[in-house]
Amino acid sequence: MKADLHLPWLLLAVAVVGWYSTVTVWVAIKGAADIRDMVKRLDEEQPKDSAARPDDPAAK
Amino acid sequence: MNFSWPIDGAIIGVYLLATMIAGVWLRRRVRRVEDFLVAGREMNLHLGIASLAATEFGVITCMYAAQGGYTSGFAGALPGICQAVAMLVIGWTGFCVNRLRESEAMTLPELFERRFGKTVRWLSGVVIVLGGLLNMGVFLKIGGQFLCLVTGLSLEHLVLIMTALLVMVVIYTVLGGMLSVLVTDFLQFVVMSVGLLVVTVMILVQVGWGRLVETVQKHHGAAGFEPLAADGLGVSFVVMQVLMGIAATLTWQTVISRVFAAKDAATGRKIFTRTSFFFVCRWFIPGLWGVAALAILGWQPLRELSAGERAALPPAVVQKIEASPVGQPLKLLSAEEKGALPSATRDRLNEASLNAMPRFLGAFLPIGLMGLLIAAMLAADMSTDASYMLGWGSVIYNDILAPFRRRPWPHARAIRWNRCIIALIGVYLFVFGLLYTPEGNVWSYLALTGAIYLSSMSVQLVACCYWPRANSWGALAAIVLGAVVPVLHLASERAPGLWPWFASLSKDQAGILAFAMATAGMVVGSLLKPRDAAPATALM
Repeated sequence: MKADLHLPWLLLAVAVVGWYSTVTVWVAIKGAADIRDMVKRLDEEQPKDSAARPDDPAAK
Repeated sequence: MNFSWPIDGAIIGVYLLATMIAGVWLRRRVRRVEDFLVAGREMNLHLGIASLAATEFGVITCMYAAQGGYTSGFAGALPGICQAVAMLVIGWTGFCVNRLRESEAMTLPELFERRFGKTVRWLSGVVIVLGGLLNMGVFLKIGGQFLCLVTGLSLEHLVLIMTALLVMVVIYTVLGGMLSVLVTDFLQFVVMSVGLLVVTVMILVQVGWGRLVETVQKHHGAAGFEPLAADGLGVSFVVMQVLMGIAATLTWQTVISRVFAAKDAATGRKIFTRTSFFFVCRWFIPGLWGVAALAILGWQPLRELSAGERAALPPAVVQKIEASPVGQPLKLLSAEEKGALPSATRDRLNEASLNAMPRFLGAFLPIGLMGLLIAAMLAADMSTDASYMLGWGSVIYNDILAPFRRRPWPHARAIRWNRCIIALIGVYLFVFGLLYTPEGNVWSYLALTGAIYLSSMSVQLVACCYWPRANSWGALAAIVLGAVVPVLHLASERAPGLWPWFASLSKDQAGILAFAMATAGMVVGSLLKPRDAAPATALM
């Protein structure tokens, strides 16, 4: 085997563990804020129409 | 097995309780059918990343990616690299996805109707659901198989585990639709990611990178590092992965439903670019686990058989199976020897490479970490099942049932129908999962069943967005031709005498042929239809 054959895979392993750890922490913090905002917006909205998808071509 | 009910069971119990509470919490906010199917289009970037990542990593992903690592070495991670590049480029350029989100559609067929008419919408819906349901039909069984092997429970407990998993997922998906799915996805992403990372670091530390490299070199040679090396995965596998990466990013319902649910097109694109590298992780991490399983357990397919099944095999057959290449236990057997094997024995031997990773983890992980791993895998599985049920259910409601809705349905009725559809998909999953065992490599089965619709839908989408000459004749031809090849190939696997030519194709070759046929159908069909009958409308 060429000695360097595994090197790209080693670099990829380091990148995967480093990137994934960072993103997990980042998304865990920011995603919770997104859920709070989404729920807030949904609570503020009132149903504007009584029928589903009036623009739905199949419903016309 | 290092599974302790008080410690590992408690970790799993806490996770399941938290998931159910989160899933049921949002049910009262589901007022409109848009809330149920696309979360009212209120999803922001980070929630989108968590949801897409959690959805696209299930136990099934972990199992087939680990099987890829076990049978092909590091090169087995190639599909993830292809999809990551496709997603990055598509997210970066906005290719097709800008128009998808700006269309305000909820499903692809709804978009196609604006360009190709009602028949194409309906038929597209049927093909999407057919391919999607065949695809996810094996999820539960393989998920249950993983859990049984890791915990040491017997495979007879599979039905109980499958039922319990399914009931929990159906409850919160039926009640809260996409809103519940997004929130549970978030929770599941965090649990799943922590579990994946901890187990991976532990493998790297305890097994060691050097040993993993040696194992790949010993069992796979250069092909374990280079997909295109002699005896490697081969050109057809690589070409199929490139096509699948592009098509899945553009048209896989559970992927693009995140674009439809995004606040706007820019958010949809950012979800793609920033999640793209996850698709490398989703293949590479389980792939490493598969290589570690090979390093520690070796290739022993006969271990899958009971003592009685082993004793029933002729000595010459036993020798050939023991000497077989990794992942291909029947390769050295003659046609007569294969034919003489009981089908249950053949199925068990074929599953040896699939079962290696969970067997390895069951013995490798200590108490405590075992609970974390199982919680992570349950999280992965539940998020995938929930999103897939919602994804295919949305197509059934929005597109296949569209001709039966002459007037707009009240929201309450529409939501009730969606809930019934999801419950029925749950029943289908349970029944199909018990009855069907895919032959050979699971990923190739998934790719082929996915190709039933990925080929024609991706061709239709690109033509719909960018080719003014595309029309309904081309779309119909693409749908039919794109579906024919994979369906005939799947049928010929079960009855090889029916269509010998199809049976002689590999799954990858059949998948590539499906893409080629769909493209030819779109081009020829569109050119055959008189120009004045096909005005270029919408999206252009």
